[in-house]
Amino acid sequence: MADVKRLRTDSVEGRPTEDAALVERSRNGDQDAYGELVTRYQAIAARTAYVITGTAADAEDVAQDAFVKAYYALDRFRSGAPFRPWLLRIVANEAINRRKAAGRRPTVGLSVVEDRASGDTALSPEASALAHERREVVLDALRKMREEDRLVIAYRYFFDLSEVEMAEALGVARGTVKSRLSRAIARLRAAMEGDQLHDA
Amino acid sequence: MTRDRMSEQELDATLADLGERLAYPRPTRLADAVSARLREPRSGRWWDALRSPRFAFAPVFATLAVLALVIVLAVPGVRATADDFLHAWGIDIFRVPAIATPAVNPSPRSGLGALTTLVDARVRAGFPVRVPSDARLATPDEVYRDGADAPGARQRISLVYGPRAGIPLSYEPGVSVLVVEFRGTFDENLIGGKGVGPDTRIESLSVNGGRGLWVEGAPHLFFYRDPSGIIQTETLRLAGNTLIWEQDGVTFRIEAQVSREDALRIAASFR
Repeated sequence: MADVKRLRTDSVEGRPTEDAALVERSRNGDQDAYGELVTRYQAIAARTAYVITGTAADAEDVAQDAFVKAYYALDRFRSGAPFRPWLLRIVANEAINRRKAAGRRPTVGLSVVEDRASGDTALSPEASALAHERREVVLDALRKMREEDRLVIAYRYFFDLSEVEMAEALGVARGTVKSRLSRAIARLRAAMEGDQLHDA
Repeated sequence: MTRDRMSEQELDATLADLGERLAYPRPTRLADAVSARLREPRSGRWWDALRSPRFAFAPVFATLAVLALVIVLAVPGVRATADDFLHAWGIDIFRVPAIATPAVNPSPRSGLGALTTLVDARVRAGFPVRVPSDARLATPDEVYRDGADAPGARQRISLVYGPRAGIPLSYEPGVSVLVVEFRGTFDENLIGGKGVGPDTRIESLSVNGGRGLWVEGAPHLFFYRDPSGIIQTETLRLAGNTLIWEQDGVTFRIEAQVSREDALRIAASFR
């Protein structure tokens, strides 16, 4: 199994210097520069939205809306601040709002693409089956969690955001990130164990 | 086997593994879609974008408090007591014993920006510029636009009217009515304030289905928050009666020596 991933405490992913220049140009009305930012962050924006909405089509819409809104909010973007977490904050809010507007269902339809060519091939059939089963249990629990908890977990485990970026993206103090994360993990475990009791 | 509690390492690894396998959407041409949307005229609830991230509003409140204090303390003749403090949907109204008339009344033209045409203002405003359809006011004599020539830049559009039948001239020579429109709202996110003298009467009311404020009497200062979150100060220029209201994310204001009923009639005729 993979090594345990530690919460990264170094500052920021991406290319902050280039981002800053692109943001500056976008602010001055250069839509090509903004297009560059969109291209750069469309994947993580859509993924973040997907973690919340649980459907790919909604997630793409959310990402698009968020980029449009972010453009018009650039005036409020603090010069020199990292763009990516600021954007993610807008994406996450947009996604949560959309889910509320759609009448929140208790679970979301997150799903996985199974049978990837890479990865499990190195594992024995038994180990592969075990990993698969674990993923199912965890995924099932994730589907039932609050968006906010799912988001914290995704930032940390799926997208590997640093602590600084997580704080910025979640709109919390840096010192709060760890406690948010451990509460989310505790609730994830509770959901998993609830399931297993239920199944048993 | 999974009936056993997963260890921390196993859970971490499973989460990391899962993160790589989720059926994420794979947008490829999002930039084109976004770019097309940015070329469209803006519509709808643009201020959602401002609301989305949880911006720290504390500094704004602090700034507002300091500004209010400065007004109260700095304007000569004002005793440093704001004896009444009203809240009307996010507008803070400070009622003070007296407020000095500025030694030099700002001309309605100064600070309104560049003289332009209604057509140009409509193209560049970034919001739907409305004009009263009231026969007397359908054609403003002068139109001003204040704002940078960049997409998304803040714009303020002002319509200046010369003498009009049935509307007294203001204290400002040759001007009867001033209409000012800008993006910026009295939305709960947007805080405004008004320094108001004792002769001033304020009433909150509904205008065109939105929230409005009728201010009657002495000259006043006026705070609002613009779309980029910065507190702006405006002096109501005609020192007359003023109707302010919010409609579709745009703040409108009519200054004229007319009655409340007349002002509401004019507001209702905005198209």
